[in-house]
Amino acid sequence: MAPLSSYYAFPEWLNMLTAFLIGTGFGFALEQAGFSSSRKLAGMFYGYDTTVLKVFFTAAIVALIGSQFLNYLGLLNLNQVYVNEYYVTASIAGGVIMGAGFIMGGFCPGTGLSALSIGKVDAMVFVAGGFAGAFIFTETYPLIEGIATAQYKGPVKINESLGLSPGLFTLIMVAAAAIMFWIAELAEKKFARPEITNDL
Amino acid sequence: MDIRKKFSTLLLLLSLLLALLPISANRSFTVKPEKLLTDVLNTDVSFTVDQVAEFIVKEDSTIQLIDLRSPEEFRKQTIPGAVNIPYNEFIKKDPEIYLNNKNIRNIFYSNGNIEPDYALVYARGLGYNNSFVMVGGVSEWIRTIIETKFTGDRITARENALFEIRRRAGDMFTELNSLPDSLKIRFLDSKKFSAKKLDGGCQ
Repeated sequence: MAPLSSYYAFPEWLNMLTAFLIGTGFGFALEQAGFSSSRKLAGMFYGYDTTVLKVFFTAAIVALIGSQFLNYLGLLNLNQVYVNEYYVTASIAGGVIMGAGFIMGGFCPGTGLSALSIGKVDAMVFVAGGFAGAFIFTETYPLIEGIATAQYKGPVKINESLGLSPGLFTLIMVAAAAIMFWIAELAEKKFARPEITNDL
Repeated sequence: MDIRKKFSTLLLLLSLLLALLPISANRSFTVKPEKLLTDVLNTDVSFTVDQVAEFIVKEDSTIQLIDLRSPEEFRKQTIPGAVNIPYNEFIKKDPEIYLNNKNIRNIFYSNGNIEPDYALVYARGLGYNNSFVMVGGVSEWIRTIIETKFTGDRITARENALFEIRRRAGDMFTELNSLPDSLKIRFLDSKKFSAKKLDGGCQ
């Protein structure tokens, strides 16, 4: 039954339209939840506001549980869902660069665009920085191709490389999330910055 | 209980249920698509029916023929030493149970269609480099091995050796396939592929 696009072979425009509608909904939800404020994202780094962790991790585990059940009931074929390919070196290098960009800019790409759409100047600078990064990456690609494609592991899933069943891995993730949320709440109390959080 | 605690409990219970459900882990291709394509397009991954006939005549224990056709077709025309794993069954399961012995070269064939090539891509993509195909499948086997005829006045030593292998493989094939149905079914059942047999280890 699903994924719809592979069963019904969506034309390109419908694929794009679907992406646009989902993206718009996602951006709207981010804005409503207050993620268009860079101080909320920076709060994750300084520990005074861990909403980002809680929201994104909750979304991840809800999707994880939901997709497994849909797969089990035969409503979604998980084998046809795209899984990102894993390049070890590129993931580490990219993770460090992205992480540094997040904390300096106070946005992630999604929240950056969400803040841009409500006219925030800092988000405009952030998105321009993102484009500049993409431009430099593309222009220097021949030089860094070796690093970018090193240590290819295929579209591997974590449970697969650990040799766990998807269900057991889901349970471990949910338990880990519960523990992390508990630690996050403790951090919020310890590093509380009411002068910032009251504004958000 | 506040809403967050209720929601967390619900998620925990659902994931506990998931952990207990029999969902097997899928495996991903670990070979780069470009490399996989180069590998499977290489002639090193295929055997001709003559090469396969030689393996059979010499009773080579390092090869395993895997017939991907339906059980009915397999029963009708069985190449000696082959096991039957219908294609639809093969791609549904983790090939580890069939291909785990790295010392054995697994040779897929069907009836001259594309399924053995798909099986080859699937198996090699998952890292089973001990997978091969027999070019042309059963129809090519019949055409080359069974219907082979010597024509002409003189025969070279090389042709003679080839002809001899074809004749002996052909005899084995005809002998096996001319068994009465009941006997043949019993014979094939006794050789049926069983994952247990391959478990091995020290027992």
